[in-house]
Amino acid sequence: MIPLAGLLVGILAGLYFDVSVPLELQPYLPIAIVAALDAVFGGIRAVIEGIFNDKVFVVSFIANVLIAAFIVFLGDQLGVGSQLSTAVIVVLGIRIFTNVATIRRHIFHA
Amino acid sequence: MSLLNDLFAKPLDPGYEDAAARRRAAGERPTSERTWRSPALALGLVALGLLLTMAVLQVRNTASVVSSERQGLIEQIHNEDARVSRLQGEVSALEAEVGELESDLLQNSAAGQQTREEVESLQATTGAIAVTGPGVVVTVDDAEEQEAQDGTDRVLDLDLRMVVNGLWAAGAEAVAINGQRITPLTAIRSAQDVIQINYRPMSAPYEVSAIGDPRSLARDFGDGSGGEWLRRTATSSGVRFDVSSDESLTLPAGNTPLSYAVPGEGAP
Repeated sequence: MIPLAGLLVGILAGLYFDVSVPLELQPYLPIAIVAALDAVFGGIRAVIEGIFNDKVFVVSFIANVLIAAFIVFLGDQLGVGSQLSTAVIVVLGIRIFTNVATIRRHIFHA
Repeated sequence: MSLLNDLFAKPLDPGYEDAAARRRAAGERPTSERTWRSPALALGLVALGLLLTMAVLQVRNTASVVSSERQGLIEQIHNEDARVSRLQGEVSALEAEVGELESDLLQNSAAGQQTREEVESLQATTGAIAVTGPGVVVTVDDAEEQEAQDGTDRVLDLDLRMVVNGLWAAGAEAVAINGQRITPLTAIRSAQDVIQINYRPMSAPYEVSAIGDPRSLARDFGDGSGGEWLRRTATSSGVRFDVSSDESLTLPAGNTPLSYAVPGEGAP
């Protein structure tokens, strides 16, 4: 319940404060979100499997977001930004799907 | 392939396994009691929610900015269009005034009278003043059901040019399309799929009015190149056309401003 409340608090805070992203950071926002989603689903799966660890979660969350943004930034500098974003999304997307599938099996036993 | 295999086989961050193994080795439980209540997980979700909202709001704002910009441009186009129409009306009014003043001046003497008639007939020929007389109206319209993606079942600028040429060849003395007089300076061309006549955008149906002998004009047009072209286009692309005689047609004046061309042959 607490993680769900956290998500709600985050959404409400975003709506309330109406933070705007600086123009230079805008291309990295979607990638950062996918990376954060990957870390969060990984963490939830770890909780369910009983091996959750605060430090691993925090480090993986921050590292995921930064590395994903950095890869896209590098791609932008090299002129292949959209291709590298696709690569990041494919890799993280596969991980998200597999982790969510495992969570689903744990919860519904199906 | 091993990278992709790894990705599918071990989607969970290996860090969790390692940390759990270390704790087991140290004789502790692999995880602390309050897992769901972990502040780190809650904070991570707060951050995720914040990021999501920011991204969604950003996309919405950008979309509204883009659409309002577009709306502004459309408004600007309409305003400029209206301005051009108004200015053209002003020019026509001023030209009419100039014509009136000219004829007033020339009316005073017999020689002036003759000059005035000459000027008027020349103006009628070039399309500088409105003319009235019997003639024919050729109506050309797009195909009833437009299926072709490339717009071949629509009236093209070429079709209108062929109709106008055919009318001249059949003895027309003045021609106008949708109220735009064909003058020596008129261009019939298409820009971005819109036919422009005298640089004004036109839309179907196109009414080509021509003044001339009402009997022979219709017949000669039908037998000549214009009629033949229309019939061929009608069978090949479904464009519709109709020719009708009219007892009295009034064709408006067109703009014939000359900036560089001066009358006469030699250098002044």
